[in-house]
Amino acid sequence: MNSSTDLKKQSFDSKRIINLLINNALIIIMLILVVYVAVTNRNFLQPASLVNLLSLTAAYLPVALGIAGCIVLTGTDLSAGRAVGLTACVAASLLQAVDAPGKMWPNLKPLPIWLVLIISVLIGAAIGVFNGFWVAKFKLHPFIVTLATQLILYTVLLRYVQLGESRGQSISGLDNGYREFVAGSLVKLPIGKGIGIPNYVWYSILLAILMWFIWNKTVFGKNMFALGSNEEAARVSGINVGLTTVAVFALAGAMYGYTGFIEAARIASNTPNTGFNYELDAIAACVIGGVSFVGGIGKISGVIIGVLLLRLIFVALPMVGMDQQLQYAIKGGIILVACALDMRKYLVKR
Amino acid sequence: MKKLLAFMLVLVMSFGLVACGTGEEKKKEEATKAATEAAKEEKTEAAKEEKEEKTEAAKEEDKKEEDKKADDKEAKKEEDKKEEAAPAGELNIGVFYYDFADAYIATVRSEMDKMLDKMGVEYKNYDAAGSQPTQTDSIKSAIVAGANLLIVNVVETSSEDAAKEIAAAAKDAEIPVIFFNREVTNDVVNGYEKAAFVGTDAPEAGHLQGEMIGDYLVANFKDIDLNGDGKISYVMFKGQEGNAEAEARTQFAVEDADKILKENKLEALAYYDENADSKFLVDKDGKWSAAAANDYMSTILGSYSEEQNNMVELVIANNDEMALGALSALQNAGYNKEDGKYIPIFGVDATETAQGKIKAGEMVGSVKQDNVGMAATITQLVQNIKDGKELMAGTEELNVDKDVDKIRVPYQKWTAESK
Repeated sequence: MNSSTDLKKQSFDSKRIINLLINNALIIIMLILVVYVAVTNRNFLQPASLVNLLSLTAAYLPVALGIAGCIVLTGTDLSAGRAVGLTACVAASLLQAVDAPGKMWPNLKPLPIWLVLIISVLIGAAIGVFNGFWVAKFKLHPFIVTLATQLILYTVLLRYVQLGESRGQSISGLDNGYREFVAGSLVKLPIGKGIGIPNYVWYSILLAILMWFIWNKTVFGKNMFALGSNEEAARVSGINVGLTTVAVFALAGAMYGYTGFIEAARIASNTPNTGFNYELDAIAACVIGGVSFVGGIGKISGVIIGVLLLRLIFVALPMVGMDQQLQYAIKGGIILVACALDMRKYLVKR
Repeated sequence: MKKLLAFMLVLVMSFGLVACGTGEEKKKEEATKAATEAAKEEKTEAAKEEKEEKTEAAKEEDKKEEDKKADDKEAKKEEDKKEEAAPAGELNIGVFYYDFADAYIATVRSEMDKMLDKMGVEYKNYDAAGSQPTQTDSIKSAIVAGANLLIVNVVETSSEDAAKEIAAAAKDAEIPVIFFNREVTNDVVNGYEKAAFVGTDAPEAGHLQGEMIGDYLVANFKDIDLNGDGKISYVMFKGQEGNAEAEARTQFAVEDADKILKENKLEALAYYDENADSKFLVDKDGKWSAAAANDYMSTILGSYSEEQNNMVELVIANNDEMALGALSALQNAGYNKEDGKYIPIFGVDATETAQGKIKAGEMVGSVKQDNVGMAATITQLVQNIKDGKELMAGTEELNVDKDVDKIRVPYQKWTAESK
């Protein structure tokens, strides 16, 4: 009698442990990867290398934070990359130094940085409102709407870089204050000669906190999740479905606008290629981080982990001398495994 | 309520669009050239409207008035034709670019647009967006739609099949085809008497870059060798896998630099990561982009530094975009600014932006790809066709290959002393 309950308890325990392992598989994979890389290449754990990983994550995070909202609504957003490209080129063209070669608007003095930031965010948000409008009003799937927007934006972008005096040249020679504002570092780690943490890392942290607040502590955030998990129920309980949808896309758009503003200065040379394929990385990061296409499920912390894991692959695999071509397969494998594990959780629940 | 909301949204949206529009217009006013562009657009739009109206008119049953109208329009149209197209004969050119987003190609495009406008011929630009199937399809549809001269910046350069197919399509339609910039094989050009190629000698850019690097290193070896180990460690940014120009530049930039170093009894270049299985980092999207080089460079700077005596001491890039991306990462880490710490960077293209950086001393050198020369050579061939001459007439003084109609626009080294 006694022994049988023991057995039951034991198997229950082992089941729980397996479940625990599977539910946290992603973090475990990440830790194994980190340990392996750290052992193989001692450079990996150098402070400068970790700061680089942090900054890359910070650079790619905002787009993912924006797209995550769209995915929570069972949608997606394919226009993100082109939105980033457009806002980056606009921001860069408004903030070229007076003596920049091939300056786009030769008579334009660099505008105040905050003004350009606001312009970029507004352009991004306008793109989002446009997306949201078509989704909400005509009940089109976001995949279709944002695919269309992506194409439309590319035309706008190609036209824009042909304007003025730049005639398709890359937009570069940016105002120094702008470069400093984004990629300079106010805080330096007191190691060696000092390792600067780029300013945009702090901005991204602030944005992540802001998004966490919006998702978890505001009525809008709760409406978003309610709408994502069951549209009919949300509608019946009095949520304004259209407005919420538009707002989610607008918020995402604002994030792309912000990213454009940052990328313009981080890369410092802007062409219509800027932002190319950013949406795919962001979507991958979201689904890896457990934001589910089923809708109504997702956490900010998950998005951060997803972005971090993708950047970790980018940084770490070359460090262990991995063939560059294998990276795609590894990325693909991780996306599949992560999503399968994720769905397994919900399948069990149902 | 819902209707009201929808209405408001439309308002907001249209306001946004209008606001954007006016903003852009304002900027347009600042730019002098924009005015002519707008005029051009209006013209084509007007032409379109006319066409539409005409077909509608034909459908109308009550023909009397409409006929009159149509006649008027016909007359007007003929007038227009006399004004615009008459001097050009019936030339209708299709220009096929491999990717509008490529910065160098964009500069060729704006030059070529200017020259073709000036010549007064009708032409249409197509964007393949880096996809050969897209390009092949649009070439075929352009031929069907009446194009009688093709100018093709072929996408696929790693095999000759695509170019062959394009040449065959041109041959079937008996229209001349000018390939440019991205090289096609001799067989393709020789296989059709009305085919030509205008481009560069792809390996030349690599050779010139390598020479420039070698000479620069010989002159400044001690300053560049930061850790004093007698070897220069370098990183190479490659634009694209399987592109003939990228391959040539990647190979010859290093080989030729090594040759010069050896002649001066110095150690050959050493790739910064001795375990790497390929001695370059490639843009995975094949876009030769600044962003890719920037991400790679900042990652490298995360684990290679002067403190650890393993700093990358030389940056070589397949094009200026990638060079600029790497420069930005270095500058974010405090290099190549006013205060001394300096990593030499070499690119290719000598875009205006890069020329500025070279002049400011932030980059060392680049290899000028002559966009004006390229466009001028192509339009010279177009002029031949327009005048009813042979495609290659009057090109004797140019740099033409011996046994094939390939015109080479020369590259030039570009350093701080240039022009």
